[in-house]
Amino acid sequence: MGEASKISRYLYTVIVLFLIWLFLTASLDPQELAFGLILSLIVAALTYEIFTTNGLANLHPRRVAYAIAYVPYFLWAMIMANLDVAYRVLHPKRPINPGIVECKTVLKNEVGKLALANSITLTPGTITLDIDGDKYFIHWIDVKDDSVEGASKNITEPFEKFLKVIFG
Amino acid sequence: MLKRALAIIFLLIIGYWLAQGLAGVPFGEDRMLVGQYYLDHVKGQTGAVNAVTAIVVNYRGFDTLGEVTVLFIASTGVGALLWRKKRERTAKTEGSMVLTTGTTLLFPFVVLFGAYIFIHGHLTPGGGFPGGATIATAFLLLYMAFITYEIPHKAFEKTEGIVGMAYVLVGLIGLAIGGYFLYDWIWQDWKLGADNIGRLLSGGFIPIIYTIIGIKVGTELSGIIDNMLKEEVSE
Repeated sequence: MGEASKISRYLYTVIVLFLIWLFLTASLDPQELAFGLILSLIVAALTYEIFTTNGLANLHPRRVAYAIAYVPYFLWAMIMANLDVAYRVLHPKRPINPGIVECKTVLKNEVGKLALANSITLTPGTITLDIDGDKYFIHWIDVKDDSVEGASKNITEPFEKFLKVIFG
Repeated sequence: MLKRALAIIFLLIIGYWLAQGLAGVPFGEDRMLVGQYYLDHVKGQTGAVNAVTAIVVNYRGFDTLGEVTVLFIASTGVGALLWRKKRERTAKTEGSMVLTTGTTLLFPFVVLFGAYIFIHGHLTPGGGFPGGATIATAFLLLYMAFITYEIPHKAFEKTEGIVGMAYVLVGLIGLAIGGYFLYDWIWQDWKLGADNIGRLLSGGFIPIIYTIIGIKVGTELSGIIDNMLKEEVSE
């Protein structure tokens, strides 16, 4: 995807910053809203050039819907991974089989790759050690499959089906 | 053994002393009359709900101007100590994809959060100094992630000078209207925000001064970071 126009990128930054302002103040007081808007306009003017390349295209309803759906999906994945690691810790035989595997991602967007790396690290049992292009090097507590395809299927694909829609 | 016994006896004597001294202080009574004065009058006299901020910026505004000056001198000192004819960024390892992308993503939020802290100085804990430091952290992030990044020096130096003068100007307007330096004319004469204490538009000139301090501290600390991260290069 090419770079969006300046206006689109600027407006997108303003909208995102204003949403963050709403979360920060947790208030609908018109004074707060007015100041939030002013500050968003100023901060966005200073920072939009490095913040985004896609601009308003990021706010496509389909992307937003997937982003909202991703939150419970990710939390569920995290809870299951937590229980799995807890089981391995408490089990007397300690059934672990740690190792470093290589995964390939289909994501192209850098922010998407960052989100994927952080999602992998946040779920217990897997840690992203390094990223090189579309290759992820992941430390896995229980290596079920050490081939690139098999590891990707287990680790990155569940997240990717959401992230590739959200980040394009 | 003897040493240990002596130490214990010594500690007991000191303990007895302290207990004796503190026994004369009535328990639970306010020893600081001036503190109570501030707490009783802060809303009426300054329009701020945060008594600490009101003391720092309003009652002791002149002292705060001094603190800003101290920071300015510290920044100048760093600049003078590290001054060389030609200095450049010499970092060699480019930040990883995670670091650079994360930085570009977080940078606007960190700046906005800094602004949030200093604009709410009269309502919440915080104010210009932590807000400015937060903004400087955003620039530190950029320095860490991009090995060739440098702050826009000209713009930063000008902004710093202008907001520094703006602080003095606010004080001088007070002098012209109310008769003393840093007189809070917005609260005392205009009564702006008198009917909505505790909301954003209250607190007299505290938000204005904290905005000034926030920008000044932010630009100044970014300058210090810039000075410390650059190294001398031979021509």
